[in-house]
Amino acid sequence: MNTSDIYREEIIDHSKHPRNFGKIAKPDVRYKEKNPLCGDEIELFVKLDSHKKVKAVAFNGAGCVISRASASLFTEAIKGKSVRELEQLSAKDALECLGLSELTPTRQKCALLVLETLKRGLKKYQQKTK
Amino acid sequence: MIDAAKIKKDFPLLNQKMNGQPLVYLDSAATSQKPQAVIDAIKDFYERHNANIHRGIYRLSEEATELYEGAREKVQKFIRAKETKEIIFTRGTTESINLVAYSWGRQNIEKGDEIIVTEMEHHSNLIPWQLLAKEKEAVLKFIPIDDEGRLKITKLDSLLNKKTRLLAITHVSNVLGVVNPLKEIITKAHSNGTRVLVDGAQAVPHLSVDVSELDCDFYAFSGHKMLGPTGIGVLHGKRELLEAMPPFMGGGEMIKEVTKEGATWNELPTKFEAGTMPIAQVVSLGTAIDYLNGIGMENIWQHEQMLIAYALEKVTAIPGVKIYGPLKPKDKGGVLSFNIGEIHPHDIASIFDEEGIAIRAGHHCAQVLHRRLGIPATVRASFYLYTDQSDIDKLIGAIKKAKQLLL
Ligand SMILES: Cc1ncc(COP(=O)(O)O)c(C=O)c1O
Repeated sequence: MNTSDIYREEIIDHSKHPRNFGKIAKPDVRYKEKNPLCGDEIELFVKLDSHKKVKAVAFNGAGCVISRASASLFTEAIKGKSVRELEQLSAKDALECLGLSELTPTRQKCALLVLETLKRGLKKYQQKTK
Repeated sequence: MIDAAKIKKDFPLLNQKMNGQPLVYLDSAATSQKPQAVIDAIKDFYERHNANIHRGIYRLSEEATELYEGAREKVQKFIRAKETKEIIFTRGTTESINLVAYSWGRQNIEKGDEIIVTEMEHHSNLIPWQLLAKEKEAVLKFIPIDDEGRLKITKLDSLLNKKTRLLAITHVSNVLGVVNPLKEIITKAHSNGTRVLVDGAQAVPHLSVDVSELDCDFYAFSGHKMLGPTGIGVLHGKRELLEAMPPFMGGGEMIKEVTKEGATWNELPTKFEAGTMPIAQVVSLGTAIDYLNGIGMENIWQHEQMLIAYALEKVTAIPGVKIYGPLKPKDKGGVLSFNIGEIHPHDIASIFDEEGIAIRAGHHCAQVLHRRLGIPATVRASFYLYTDQSDIDKLIGAIKKAKQLLL
């Protein structure tokens, strides 16, 4: 009985030892978002280089295994991407990043919190630099 | 004693598999499953009796009206109300409470008046009072709870004063399972001239309720948590109060006479039942009451007492599991809220789901309570007449699996 489709080793590892966990000083993009359903919270920091590509990224906050693992894997995946590429990322991309296709819609919201945070942060960044 | 395994057979949904496992449904506090008799009653109504009520002269409409009013009588007897006029059909507990807040509240609450609620209220018995208090510049006060989740009744005396118009309180907590000592509370409130509204959403399905004995002024509950369909609920109110209250919603059926200038209101209970009501739902709620009466509310309560005693004993024996609410089954319904170490409740619920176990994770519409407990969320398992010991054994197994995987 003690096996799980969702809670594979990789997912648990990323949740227990999240990559890019922390803060960045003077970020270009900074945004905090909450999932009202479960209270998960993510604060995301992105620093861009002179070509408007992701130079550094960090996140912090409290959440479930899925939202933490997702943020960890997602932030790994977006390093070096341009702002334009970031803007085009879809929910499907973020879920692929996590490698979990069997999530129910409610759990998908946990997994997608990091993407949602990034999107809103980018919008704020665009308005600021306009 | 109840034979839950036999009762389970009356509930078609419970006989299916979920994620390859036999379904273990432990979310009856959110909504109950429905027996075949209730499902059949809805079908039967549409196949043989469907017509709009009250307005028709023809036979079919008379029949539908008789069934609808027959269900009102069943509700009245079930909660031992004095008369059918005191039974108002609504969409559910939420609408029942909002009805009182809008109609009675706007007429009776003035600037500086005080309303008392408790720290364990469901949002549906909190937000309507917050809205009213804001609109009227009234003051909202809270009866605190102790660390076991029981109300600190002794605090009530210092909260009640000559400005206290209303006390709105839940009968049974949907998170802690605590049964509040209503009789004592209502007596105190009444001797202060304060009206009492009771949220009975988690009580009527599980224990024998006598509104006349309680002497509460308003009592609200939902059909879908007591084997009935969604979309139907009840407000019981004392007749003299309901008669003095203005209508909640305007429309068809609730009027007596209408002119260009205005209207007069229909008699109780129709004054509060504007528009076409969910007729099939009312009728099948009557069938749900028949089913509950057939088993006996006292037997259901005893069965849930047995289950919660068993669950508390088993779960407290697992290290790392924190239970919220009283740790003794006395005065506690079949609701068990807990956390496992630092594991997020959503992860627990997902692991349980893989085992075919349906439980709820979150704040259960009681954020003030969770804030008081100092946690964002809990996992909640809730029982009913069809829950048996083997369901609880599976719950224990899943708790151990979650611990092993994630702790
Ligand atoms: C204590 C309590 N009050 C009120 C409600 C609201 O009931 P409904 O959603 O049926 O209006 C619930 C159900 O979730 C409840 O548990």
